[in-house]
Amino acid sequence: MNLEGRGYTGKILYADLSEESFKVDTWDERIARLLLGGKGLGAWLLYKMTEPGLDPLAPEAPLIFATGPLTGTITPCSKFAVIGKSPATGTIDDSYSGGFFGPELKYSGYDAVVVTGRSEKPVVMVIVDGEARLEPAGDLWGLKTEEAEAKLSERFKGFKFAEIGPAGERMAKIASIFSSGRCAGRGGLGAVMGSKGLKAVAVKGSKPVRVADPERFERMAWIAFRSIRMSETTVRSLPRYGTANILLTINEAGALPTRNFQTGRFEGAEEISGEAFKRTLWKKDFACSLGCNIYCSKIAEFNGLTVDGPDYETIYALGSNLGLADREAICKANLLCDQYGIDSISTGVIIAFVMELYQRGMVSEKDLDGIRPLWGDKEAIISLTEKIGKGEGVGLALQEGVKRLSEKYPGSEGFAMHVKGLEMPAYEPRAAQGMGLCYAISERGACHLRAYTAGMELLGYGGGADPTSYDRSKVQLAIDRQDEKAVTDSSVLCFFTLYGMRLKEVYQMIVPCTGFNYGSVEEVKQLGARVITLTRLFNVREGFTRKDDTLPRRCLEEPLPEGPYRGQVTHLEPMLNEYYRIRGWDEEGIPTEETVKKTGLKDIL
Amino acid sequence: MSLSMVGKEIRLSKIINPEDGRAVVVAADHGFMLGVIPGVENLEATLRKIILGGPDAILVSPGQARELNHLFHGRDAPALLVRSDWSNWGRDKTYTLPARSVERIGVAEARDALLLGASGVVVYYFIGYGEEVKEARHMESLAAFARGCDRIGMPFIVEPVPFGERITGANFAELVKVVVRAAVEAGADAIKAPYTGDPETFREVVDAAEGVPVMILGGAKAKTMRDAMEVVVESLEAGGAGVVFGRQIVQAEDPTVFLTAMRGIVHEGKSIREALRAMISGPVRIQVNRNNCIGCRICETICTESHGLSFIPSKARLHVDYIPPSTYTPFVCTLCGICVRECPTQALEFDEKLHYVRLIPERCTKCRRCVEVCPMKVIRWDDVSDLPLVCDMCQGSPKCAEWCPTEALKITPYKA
Repeated sequence: MNLEGRGYTGKILYADLSEESFKVDTWDERIARLLLGGKGLGAWLLYKMTEPGLDPLAPEAPLIFATGPLTGTITPCSKFAVIGKSPATGTIDDSYSGGFFGPELKYSGYDAVVVTGRSEKPVVMVIVDGEARLEPAGDLWGLKTEEAEAKLSERFKGFKFAEIGPAGERMAKIASIFSSGRCAGRGGLGAVMGSKGLKAVAVKGSKPVRVADPERFERMAWIAFRSIRMSETTVRSLPRYGTANILLTINEAGALPTRNFQTGRFEGAEEISGEAFKRTLWKKDFACSLGCNIYCSKIAEFNGLTVDGPDYETIYALGSNLGLADREAICKANLLCDQYGIDSISTGVIIAFVMELYQRGMVSEKDLDGIRPLWGDKEAIISLTEKIGKGEGVGLALQEGVKRLSEKYPGSEGFAMHVKGLEMPAYEPRAAQGMGLCYAISERGACHLRAYTAGMELLGYGGGADPTSYDRSKVQLAIDRQDEKAVTDSSVLCFFTLYGMRLKEVYQMIVPCTGFNYGSVEEVKQLGARVITLTRLFNVREGFTRKDDTLPRRCLEEPLPEGPYRGQVTHLEPMLNEYYRIRGWDEEGIPTEETVKKTGLKDIL
Repeated sequence: MSLSMVGKEIRLSKIINPEDGRAVVVAADHGFMLGVIPGVENLEATLRKIILGGPDAILVSPGQARELNHLFHGRDAPALLVRSDWSNWGRDKTYTLPARSVERIGVAEARDALLLGASGVVVYYFIGYGEEVKEARHMESLAAFARGCDRIGMPFIVEPVPFGERITGANFAELVKVVVRAAVEAGADAIKAPYTGDPETFREVVDAAEGVPVMILGGAKAKTMRDAMEVVVESLEAGGAGVVFGRQIVQAEDPTVFLTAMRGIVHEGKSIREALRAMISGPVRIQVNRNNCIGCRICETICTESHGLSFIPSKARLHVDYIPPSTYTPFVCTLCGICVRECPTQALEFDEKLHYVRLIPERCTKCRRCVEVCPMKVIRWDDVSDLPLVCDMCQGSPKCAEWCPTEALKITPYKA
């Protein structure tokens, strides 16, 4: 049966930039029912289209922009997904962005766009109501993200865009893809886009997204919005203080990574809390995506500068993790990341690594273009950020990421804070055992957005969970969160909606939207588990196994020096054993034949 | 019937009105477990306002039951309920430091509550722990409370809570059912349970209680009174027995007004509109407060859906202007009447009764004059139907304003 009119357009656009050719194809109800869209669809396309071992920056490597059935409808916070093979990690990478590009892509008639090939000259891909073409983008090449978008807006009135900055153009491994100030930030998909000579995608459409049962869908969407309007976190904490509303609590728990994870308590926490930003720099709240009623996004304004953010992760990466308590300096560094188009988390962790190298006397100013990288030195931090953004001087080496950098400094592996090549986010895994597991098993390396146990472990949400435990129920907690997240990522909804509504409300929307008669909410949760196994199969095919599901030695061996969880290390091995067992993967972390069959993946791969 | 059961029935009738089997109970025991949350700083002052709204009963901690006992004196005073256990389970980061592990203990026996003049006791019942031993202890404590209450004829109200590591978005509603039933089996006379989010699953909870009244709890303060009332109406329709609301009421802008409206819904069968004193009757217009607009475009999206065009914001009968990076201005039909005056064929006319601009498609000559003259630029041309898209105020209840999360668009009475 055709997918069109059931939350889907039913069509995928395949663009080959080498040939300058476009092909439109329908896709299968069977796939949609099993994998929904967004992450699930993108992972499936990537699996089918990628030869094992392919260079992520090769022309044949696909870059996939994918929406889900809920994208563009009346649903809380619809986002879009970008999926590809990460040049930073070599794993699958799925990254999500707000902005209005995702809904517009659907209004233009496509559920997804798959880009392969390489254009000799810079191009922008223009999609209007299903018609796609390439236009020269020589005048845009080299422009910062916001400049490029401003110029694009003049040329293409009423369009929505996804673009890269200079870092993506030169294929920096930490380059992101931006869309009206938001970004699919992690894992270097901006470099994949740059490798294709694709500066931007511009979309515009006038085709309505229709759903299977509009009346019931509207009712269920109302219930979803209402539950978000009735939760403390989504009504007060996030709208008022943004994602940084948690910073002081995380610091109190000794889980705020500070000075490259040397400790979990930052003496300047008060100054960089959401409360402090709200009091001083943040002037405006806004919805980053269609249907967002949580508005955790903030605009900082000072000295004539306007900055989108910073959010909690950026405040950690460019703040506490660098020993920096200066709000304006954090904003400036954040702005540089956005302008040049790089991931602020990775940028911060790279600079932190350099600072620790310097602290240990393993590098000198001479290696760093004369910069003295002292903890908390704002001039040094801003100069290094700018050099990374521009790929200038030492920035060229730094933009490769912590993993490759540490290979040049024997003895630094223990404090190179990354997993599989992706730099670590803002939760100290020694203070929250579950987060250690989450970082280790995330398909794209150290990521807090794949299975977020910190809410229960550190913030007391849902009655809380003991942060020191690493037993079976902690592993089950991580699995439950990971499954639920995979469902929202395939829908595609913002993760924060689940602080107001539950998976039940998502399920209640998906059924009337798609007309798929899933028997229960549990069946939809199982869909999430299926998507996780699919991404694992991709990674396994690329050679990833248990040995890669690990953490930096600092987390596994050095006891945490401060806070209520002082003395702890992350007990990863027992959690991994249990995780693989529950997932139906073998001891090496490879999904068993039976699991592949049981999840229904065997029939579609 | 044993004597203690006779007493129990009398006391229970002070809480749950025997005529309609429903109750409006106010929970004011937060200071005991969460700390000094807004609304309980001066508990006596708040409770005095609440009592003016006429609650059936008020739930407080044993200490406050003694301290504020005078509020429960008199024939028209509300019944007193005593929180007889203590737990740190709700203490997440919002209130103070989150608890590292969840604990619960009894703090007053049924007899203590009796001496305080209580008409009932309320205790928690938790399931969902990783530790089964803890779960068993909760059941043990629950059964002990039930025996104590039975002996002296004290109504026993249980607040069953599923929480902990094993609760997921997929199993929550199901677990509410399980835990409610377990509480009933242990001897609860009434239940205070979380609303499951929709009437279908809540009906299953009510059925699982087998006739024992199930009241819903309020949880965090809802953004608007209307949302809180909506879930009450749904729960009543599903067979619920009313509410035990805490933060919804103690943190309300005006607790007296809120409670009066709640009584209207629970005991007098009023609709939300009636309970909120209909707020607005007669013709309406949409008031714009641009400073509140966050640019979510829910208004545009729901507009096209409710006019049968599915989801396509660019065809909405209003629009949100975006000035980078963060200034949004919604434009809506102001009922200025210019399009009506300018239309050469009277294809647009003003509905005098409901006050909106009505399109009469047969008369339209596709001249697009209306699109040109609209000062708000909210009339757009639809190429598919080859007709203008004109705001019809959803014939009296504009959905854009109903769905707006920040009241940037607000329904107000129409004044010419």
